[in-house]
Amino acid sequence: MIGQLHSSRVYSTEGVSEMDNESVEVFSTEFWQAFAPEMVLVIGLALVFIVPNLGNSKFRIPLTKVQVPWFLGGRRFKITGSPAIPGILATATLFTALGMMIIETIDGDMASTTVTSGDIVLLQIDNFSRFFEIIFLAAVLLASMASLDRIPAHTFSGKKSLDEMYDNRRQADFYILMLTTALGMSTVALAQDLFVLFIGLELASLATYVLVGFHKESKSGAEAGVKYFIVGSVASGIGLYGLSLLYLEFGSLQLTTLAANWDDGSILGTIALGLVLVGFGFKVSAAPFHFAAPDAYAGANSPVAGVLATASKAMGMIGLIRVLLVVALPDSQTDGSAVWLYTLATLSVVTMTWGNLAALGSTNPKRMLAYSSVAHAGYMMAALTAVGAWKWGEVDAPADYAEAIVAAVLFHLCVLVAFKLGAFLVLGLLEMEGGASRLSALSGLARRDPLIGTAMFIFMLALAGVPPLAGFMSKFLVVAGIVSASVGELSTNGSVSFSDIHWIWWLALAMFLNSAISVFYYLRIGVVMFLDTPEEGRRKPLPHGASIRMAIWICLVATIILGLSGDTLIDMCYRAAESLNLA
Amino acid sequence: MGSNQSLDIKNKEFMLVGGLLVVVAGLMAFFPTLDDSGTTDWISIPLVGFPIVVSCILLAFASQESRDRKEIIAVPIRLFTLCAYLVPRAISTALFFDWLILVDWDLMYNEYALEKEYLWIESIGASWHVGMDGLSFPMVWLTTFLVPVTIIMTWEEKDGATYHPLLLMMGGALIGVFVALDLFLFYVFWELTLIPMFFLILKWGGKDRRYAAQKFFIYTFCASVIMLLGLITLYFLQPESTGSGYGTVTGRTCDMTVLFSNANAKNMGDSVFLGKDMQNILFAMLMLGFLVKLPAVPFHTWLPDAHVQAPTGGSMLLAGVMLKMGAYGMLRIPIAILPDALVFYQDIIMAIGLISLVWGAVVCLGQTNLKRMVAYSSVSHMGVILLGIASMQPIGYAAALFMMFAHGIISPMLFAVCGAFKHHYHSMEIGSMRGMAKWSPFLAVYMMFAWMASLGLPLLAGFVAEFMVLIAYWPEYGWWILLPGFVLAITAGYYLWSMQRTIFEGGDEGHPPESLNGETPPDITLPENIGMIILAIFTVIFGIFPFIALGMMDDWTVALFEGVFNRGGI
Repeated sequence: MIGQLHSSRVYSTEGVSEMDNESVEVFSTEFWQAFAPEMVLVIGLALVFIVPNLGNSKFRIPLTKVQVPWFLGGRRFKITGSPAIPGILATATLFTALGMMIIETIDGDMASTTVTSGDIVLLQIDNFSRFFEIIFLAAVLLASMASLDRIPAHTFSGKKSLDEMYDNRRQADFYILMLTTALGMSTVALAQDLFVLFIGLELASLATYVLVGFHKESKSGAEAGVKYFIVGSVASGIGLYGLSLLYLEFGSLQLTTLAANWDDGSILGTIALGLVLVGFGFKVSAAPFHFAAPDAYAGANSPVAGVLATASKAMGMIGLIRVLLVVALPDSQTDGSAVWLYTLATLSVVTMTWGNLAALGSTNPKRMLAYSSVAHAGYMMAALTAVGAWKWGEVDAPADYAEAIVAAVLFHLCVLVAFKLGAFLVLGLLEMEGGASRLSALSGLARRDPLIGTAMFIFMLALAGVPPLAGFMSKFLVVAGIVSASVGELSTNGSVSFSDIHWIWWLALAMFLNSAISVFYYLRIGVVMFLDTPEEGRRKPLPHGASIRMAIWICLVATIILGLSGDTLIDMCYRAAESLNLA
Repeated sequence: MGSNQSLDIKNKEFMLVGGLLVVVAGLMAFFPTLDDSGTTDWISIPLVGFPIVVSCILLAFASQESRDRKEIIAVPIRLFTLCAYLVPRAISTALFFDWLILVDWDLMYNEYALEKEYLWIESIGASWHVGMDGLSFPMVWLTTFLVPVTIIMTWEEKDGATYHPLLLMMGGALIGVFVALDLFLFYVFWELTLIPMFFLILKWGGKDRRYAAQKFFIYTFCASVIMLLGLITLYFLQPESTGSGYGTVTGRTCDMTVLFSNANAKNMGDSVFLGKDMQNILFAMLMLGFLVKLPAVPFHTWLPDAHVQAPTGGSMLLAGVMLKMGAYGMLRIPIAILPDALVFYQDIIMAIGLISLVWGAVVCLGQTNLKRMVAYSSVSHMGVILLGIASMQPIGYAAALFMMFAHGIISPMLFAVCGAFKHHYHSMEIGSMRGMAKWSPFLAVYMMFAWMASLGLPLLAGFVAEFMVLIAYWPEYGWWILLPGFVLAITAGYYLWSMQRTIFEGGDEGHPPESLNGETPPDITLPENIGMIILAIFTVIFGIFPFIALGMMDDWTVALFEGVFNRGGI
């Protein structure tokens, strides 16, 4: 298998594979064909704008009495004007686009397509970008399925309550924002130019700022939205300043140009790199840029918080991978100065420890999940450090080691959508009957609804990394990647000394010690669900919510299946990592 | 007993049991011959997959029922659980007596009977690889023996509709640990055993069950992840290769047999697999996981809490089989592949074993809680296993194996007695009552028997193991032997003392505990009686005819010494 995967690879000097690479001009015919899934998203977005506004309005041709039906505005048609329409449209759009992408990527022989405008490479469709788009669309799709019940569309039979009217008026806005998030994130995945990447990042971010503060009548929602917006825009501003410095130094923001010209000795470049990392560090919620995350997650409604914890984190991770692994790695294995290696190693250990310790002390399940997502960011940064150690020639190992590590990070990001989003969706189900911001909201859940309680417990075990669930598999792959990079080719000589093993091995130990700490707070949820008696007023069965439950079951099945046999996904991750051309 | 309720089986329960029987029959008929080669796979489905799948189905069914219905369906469910577990029980016995197929248990080192391998996660080279040898088969047999006995013993446990399926799941997962010949599979089952036990303690435990269950889970999980890091490092230190069984992404294999033969090939003459330095580090990491599970002082603190809070059935399986996972893991992985590190750490292991032995016994003397005392006595007996390992004598290893086996029969009986005590007297305090023999003659007899077996009375199973360990200990450590010898006397001391106080003192009237509020204490029930007498009978059988099990263990030990230790270097 490995030989087969490698045989198709040809390295060019610029770091872009010329094999199977088709270059199309922007807005040409091939362009539309290649971007069919994204076009589905755009069309879906337009439909969500248009369809609810279809009505019987007519347009009178001036000076005549001829009235031409115009259909936009006027008295809305009963079918298209139904408040349920935007949600259904958005879900169907996301589902279609996701299906198209999965069909395109899953068999693995996808050619990469580059979109150029003149000399400038704007976007590139390859296994890597498609893989991330699948993560984004899957997360947003599950969240919008859940939102069909979480923010339900009501059909009024009799008296209207204020809440119901709020819910109905918001339908179109909410799903427009969801689709915009998906589109922005897709742009980030596709971008080959840091400026395009930044535009996509902002498109997605602005939509998520609004989504976080979507429940503006609740105090915590509004506060969370404002806080997230302020901190987020400061981080973006710093990142943008970093980009401008990069441009100053290299005269281009093209990834290939930057990668080819990157010079470890450049002071301006190093400063710019640091500033750009602040912007992406905020997105992955890495310490010390994570302070807004717990507030934002706790204030947002749970499906949205789930998107922040999975898709938004993956988006930041693309930035980190692009900047750190594509741009700021030396072109060949040298003994050059490892610019960001020690910084990132320190940050990763600080991030995972901080996240876990803070999660220990939080009694709000959403804050707890937010801190646990900080810890998970730390795990992934540790893996990126291992790639750096390989590339700076500190470890003697072939290129597929680095690709295996990146593949592990991608696998982790992908399965996070299953169990982290799943956990948020369970909280979303609880929110439907009155809040999930206290630990006691979960008490007795296993007695009230054994299947949901068990699902939540399985999500918790997966987050903690208990086999045979997907969380274990991903943690195993990440640690295996780090250990393999630290051990390198030592196995070929018979005798090994422990001091020969590279220091990144200790990152693996830190990861495992941290996941041992994390078991404390994940188990606490299980204990509360299985042992405590339900709160006063929450003794009845949980609300029905067919589609949110469906989303939870999908997450549950994925958590179990990807743990028991993740081969297909691992292969996809590996191909995606390969198309980065790290070597 | 709920006999009046068992008549109340309505259509639904009937369909439940009937439907499950059909599922089971289908599984049994179809899966054992899944293999291409035409040989029957007696391990994967009948011993491991079947109990776990059935218990999941039963749990899913039971969880959907209301509280009242649960009481009613508890009867068919526990009957079915017992019947279902008789399948692995029958198969393991049949394999021992060669009823199904002729199995040659006299194997070379790194040879396995009934070995089967199916590709599983190809990207990391993990496969479903199972097999048994003289080390694992006695443990498998012990598990299949203990689980039905435990189900019978705790027949009347409350909320039986979920309790008994959890025991069934334990039974499958524990066997999985013993038969796994793949590092990944081994670790999966190693952790899987935690989950049913966590729930057994959490839902059926005593007053502090919340604390005990979490402590149990977290403590052993922490140690396991260190062990896992050791395993992963070991995995990557093997030479890279391609081909069947090797990971497509990692280029290594999780297969234990390949690891063993690699290590064995390198551990020849003066050459050392991975070098001494690396061996020592890896040995320490792996042993940490196993020592916590064993448990050995100073990693034993989770055990008394877990035992005291766990329900009777949980304690029986915890002491009977789960502790043995630690000893099994040690013998299976680190000792077999890192023999030079074993020599390096020999004195430390001896010291840990000795300290566990002494510490456990001394702490026992001070216990007022019956179950806590028994729990510490387990720590003490596990020290004996470490002594056997540290002796580096074949007889010491055989003794350690037999100790695992014997303790696996005796300690469940100890906990069964404690459970019955708690059940009928609502108290565990040794000092709270006198003259138990008057009201509960059966319980008194079993208690006396179990206590005697545990303190090592000749002709009972425990004696054989302890005696053999002492024989092995002498040539290596000489007069230090007085210390374990003396501790065995302390053991006799605390057992006899607790027995004297609870069973005999108090004159003709006795002195029932206050927790009974003046009621007359009852004797044990029929299921408890059946369970305990089975355990007692096997204690005697293996005491008088130890060679039934010991023969196989001897063969394995000889193979280990020939295969691993005998290379001129040591």
